[in-house]
Amino acid sequence: MTLKDVIRKVFLVEIVKGMALTFSRLFTRPVTRRYPKEKRPAEPGFRGLHALVRNPATGDAKCVGCGLCAAVCPSRCINVYTSEGPEHQKVVDGYEIEVLRCVFCALCVEACPYGAIALTPHYEYADYSREALFMTKERLLDNWDRYMGEEGLRYFDSFWNPKEAHFKPPRGQAMFKGRIIGGFSG
Amino acid sequence: MIKVTIDGRDVELEHPVTVLEAARKAGIEIPTLCYFEGLSPFGGCRLCLVEVEKLPKLQTSCTLMTADGMVVRTETEQIRAARRSMLEFLLINHPLDCPYCDKAGECELQDLVARYGPEAGRFAEGKRRHPESFDDPIIVRNMERCVLCTRCIRMCSELQASYSISVTGRGSHSFVEPFSGGRYDCEYCGNCLTVCPVGAIMSRLHRHSYRPWFVEKETETVCGFCGVGCSMVLQMRENSIIRAIPRRGVGFNEGLLCARGRFGYEYVEGGEELTTPLMRVDGELRQVSWEEALSFTARRLGEIRDEFGGGAVGAVASGRCTNEDNYMLQKLMRFVIGSNNIDSAARNYYAPAQIYLERIFGQGITANLIPGIANSDGVFVAGGDPTAINPILGLKIRAVWRSGGRVVVLGVPGGLKRFVPYELIPVPYSEEIVLSAIVGRLLERKPPGGANAALEAKLRDLRIPSDDELGSTGVSPEDVARVSEDLSSMSTPVVVIGPDMVQRRRASKSLFLLGAIAYLTNARIFLLADRPNYQGLLDMGCLPELLPGGRPVELEMFRHKAEEALGMKVPEQRGLNLFEMIDGAESGRLKALYVMGENPVFNLPDGVRVEKALGSLDLLVVQDVHLTETARLADVVLPATAWPEKEGTYTNLERRLQRVRKARRGKMASYGREDWRILADIAGRLGMTKTYQRVEDVWEEVMHVSALHTGLGYEEMDGGRALWPYYGEPLRGMEGDFTVEGLDGLPEVPAPERPYLMIERPLYHSGTFSRRSKALLAIQPGPYLKMNPELARRHGLTGGDKARISNGRGVLELEVRLDDDMPDNQVHVANTFEGFAAMRLAGFGTDPVTGALYMDDNTVRVEKVLR
Ligand code: SF4
Ligand code: SF4
Ligand code: SF4
Ligand code: SF4
Ligand code: SF4
Ligand code: FES
Repeated sequence: MTLKDVIRKVFLVEIVKGMALTFSRLFTRPVTRRYPKEKRPAEPGFRGLHALVRNPATGDAKCVGCGLCAAVCPSRCINVYTSEGPEHQKVVDGYEIEVLRCVFCALCVEACPYGAIALTPHYEYADYSREALFMTKERLLDNWDRYMGEEGLRYFDSFWNPKEAHFKPPRGQAMFKGRIIGGFSG
Repeated sequence: MIKVTIDGRDVELEHPVTVLEAARKAGIEIPTLCYFEGLSPFGGCRLCLVEVEKLPKLQTSCTLMTADGMVVRTETEQIRAARRSMLEFLLINHPLDCPYCDKAGECELQDLVARYGPEAGRFAEGKRRHPESFDDPIIVRNMERCVLCTRCIRMCSELQASYSISVTGRGSHSFVEPFSGGRYDCEYCGNCLTVCPVGAIMSRLHRHSYRPWFVEKETETVCGFCGVGCSMVLQMRENSIIRAIPRRGVGFNEGLLCARGRFGYEYVEGGEELTTPLMRVDGELRQVSWEEALSFTARRLGEIRDEFGGGAVGAVASGRCTNEDNYMLQKLMRFVIGSNNIDSAARNYYAPAQIYLERIFGQGITANLIPGIANSDGVFVAGGDPTAINPILGLKIRAVWRSGGRVVVLGVPGGLKRFVPYELIPVPYSEEIVLSAIVGRLLERKPPGGANAALEAKLRDLRIPSDDELGSTGVSPEDVARVSEDLSSMSTPVVVIGPDMVQRRRASKSLFLLGAIAYLTNARIFLLADRPNYQGLLDMGCLPELLPGGRPVELEMFRHKAEEALGMKVPEQRGLNLFEMIDGAESGRLKALYVMGENPVFNLPDGVRVEKALGSLDLLVVQDVHLTETARLADVVLPATAWPEKEGTYTNLERRLQRVRKARRGKMASYGREDWRILADIAGRLGMTKTYQRVEDVWEEVMHVSALHTGLGYEEMDGGRALWPYYGEPLRGMEGDFTVEGLDGLPEVPAPERPYLMIERPLYHSGTFSRRSKALLAIQPGPYLKMNPELARRHGLTGGDKARISNGRGVLELEVRLDDDMPDNQVHVANTFEGFAAMRLAGFGTDPVTGALYMDDNTVRVEKVLR
């Protein structure tokens, strides 16, 4: 131990330095937030609770039931149930996500050719029961209205760039017979 | 030896094959679209292009034959560019339907475009439009997606030989359409949709309800509709069957199925399945618990046995149930209750015919391979339409024709009509005269070789009809000469025997004559079987006279062997057969009947009489999947599991043992129990000490008891390669121990005023199960009366009219369907629809020698129903 060290120890130099920093911070704004009183807004691309995008033209989900999201999901937590409708169209009867198994990779969002599944900015969905975290089609559409809506759509589109938005088939193309996706005139 | 170099790899070939096949043999993958293994090469899609040194242009490898010294490259920049262009052309008119198209995920075009395709097309001029066609109940066509590979057309004409579809139109408006336009007028085998590489021809059964990656489990099993026993794969999602598909390389059906096999499975989840046991309380069937139903059944069976003896109890086994189920029923009857009264609906024709043929030639005479038929150079068919009773076997007969062989059919050719050079339709029930004449001609041509002395001795006594005597049959002596000439020119012939040759008076003589034809021409014999496990019934001892292994119960040696193997006693006398049991029930001799998976009220002649007989029993137990006509009369109904819900084995008509596997499990599968488990439970309550945990335990016992199945475990059966006899003891040789009725005489050819009622065996329906299958009902929704237009005219009828047919036994009212191919002395009705059972009008006569049912007396009065 050198003399210098002895002096530092005796006069508590380190502590004084530390206290000085503490004291100086008393007069600056805090960086932490007083959650849950104060909430941090999610950035674009934040991967929160799932939602099915509602098609404003039809009022139903945009989803056509292609099942690509279910195929790509690494934790196999998406189930899509479809059937043939009265006009031979494909009808999405059920769409389920087991949120508790999801790893929030957002691969489903990337895979969807119609921008029909979204991860909303909503992250406060902790609950006491498993059932509360089992999402059905209705609940997923409800999530969209609640956590995305008009405002959210812009946010969603600007980050995820759904392929559909850029996809313009040539005229007269036999594309879903104009029935499945509303507002898709080509 | 041909040497070729493909992608720098040397390949040596014994025979010249196409470059594509040579490459595949060497493990080099060349992309294809129009090529399909088993179909003729077409060379239309040009995706299999390869570069061959010294040839200036790219060549299609699927049509180019290898030559010695050829140097081939399969993946160069030039080839990739060519493939890319081909795909770009295909996509000009191809809709971008993938997210919506049911083929996505297993679409060959999708895969190819992902691998070679252009990222974007340059063609901006719009696509052709062609509406999706829903004219057909089972198949949906979306010709916008068709890539004109013609695989479907080649399948339909080359393998199915139905020639129903073709390319219509020109240029970009070429579409594949059925000749009839609109609805398919075909055999609904669905084999075209197996081969379509894209989503242009698809099944409507599971339309829009699945994606290939939603398949959670695949179960390889055997079709439960007929005695061919085609292999198929059941694709499951959460306990529901999504599809039943064939697969090349699995089973001997080589990727083919018929309409029943492919589309008929839906009955298992039709919603009408029995869910709980039922018991008759105060005259009504009420739901009860398993325990209640089983203890009641066991107690009553025990009481009846103790009071009246084992002989007062009988059982009916089932051609739809597995070997294990039938074995267990047999054990319950013979060894636990002590009664040899066990039989099945195989009694109608299959069992008597099989036993009789075995008496002539020895056991296993009909154990011939179905795929082998295609290698024959001639087929003689008598007594039924193989393309409807056993469709895949029928295809092999058509294959004989395609490869230049002769097909001769005695009777109405049905689905073989286009394949016979001439028709040979005798007056009904005069066939034995025609057969005698044919045998006579054959004997003139070539004296028999002496291998089967007993048969030849009987042949010497045979009365050969003169040309005059032939006259009454409607078949000319020239026709007979022609048939015998054709038959003797065949070097590897096949004789196919159907039910109609057995269900007649003097069945022994018809069978003997057919056997003689086979003997004189050195042919292999096939006996058609319209249930999946008729042969298994015989092998498992579900006959009053035979123990498991096909051993006569009355021979002490065999009886002792079985008793020793099981440590239990069997009664010495043979039991009552199915018809005798009905007699017994009527006379009060039989007190209790246990019916498993069979519907006697519907499938036996004279339903009114059967109903009454069953009604007078003290105890009727019915074990089935649905509440059948017979189950409604029962005192106890026990719900059993259906075909995809159980493990076991079927023995097909060539005696191939194949595994039936359980595909559905868990809470959503039916509430029934496996048949053998129910039976073992009852046997346990009646004193059987042995217990069984798994179905394998039952089979082990079979292997132990039946000499035919020794050493033939489940592992040996995998891959469908187990044909009995396997490691078994030598076969029971019973040659020579047979009698033939009426050898030295010729029957009078009856000429009744009224037409004969014949049982039709349609392609789309086979009974209690098929009529609960939505898809099969969509193809054929109901019963009909098939008759010749001339006959109809005589009765003032035309197609679509309602006609009443009747005889002393009953009345049926059916819609008339005209058929030019039918003779004008008969009408055909199928025995498949509830309330329209043709068998209800049939008589109960049985042939004294073979014990088979005869139908000769069934003429009916036909009248128009006025509305
Ligand atoms: S975020 Fe990932 S894990 Fe979650 S549902 Fe989507 S694909 Fe599945
Ligand atoms: S990928 Fe999109 S359109 Fe397809 S099923 Fe999923 S959410 Fe629906
Ligand atoms: S046929 Fe294939 S490429 Fe065409 S829409 Fe269907 S899945 Fe897509
Ligand atoms: S319908 Fe299918 S199999 Fe037939 S030609 Fe078109 S693409 Fe080929
Ligand atoms: S031929 Fe027989 S076994 Fe084969 S699929 Fe058809 S019904 Fe089933
Ligand atoms: S596969 Fe060879 S041309 Fe189509």
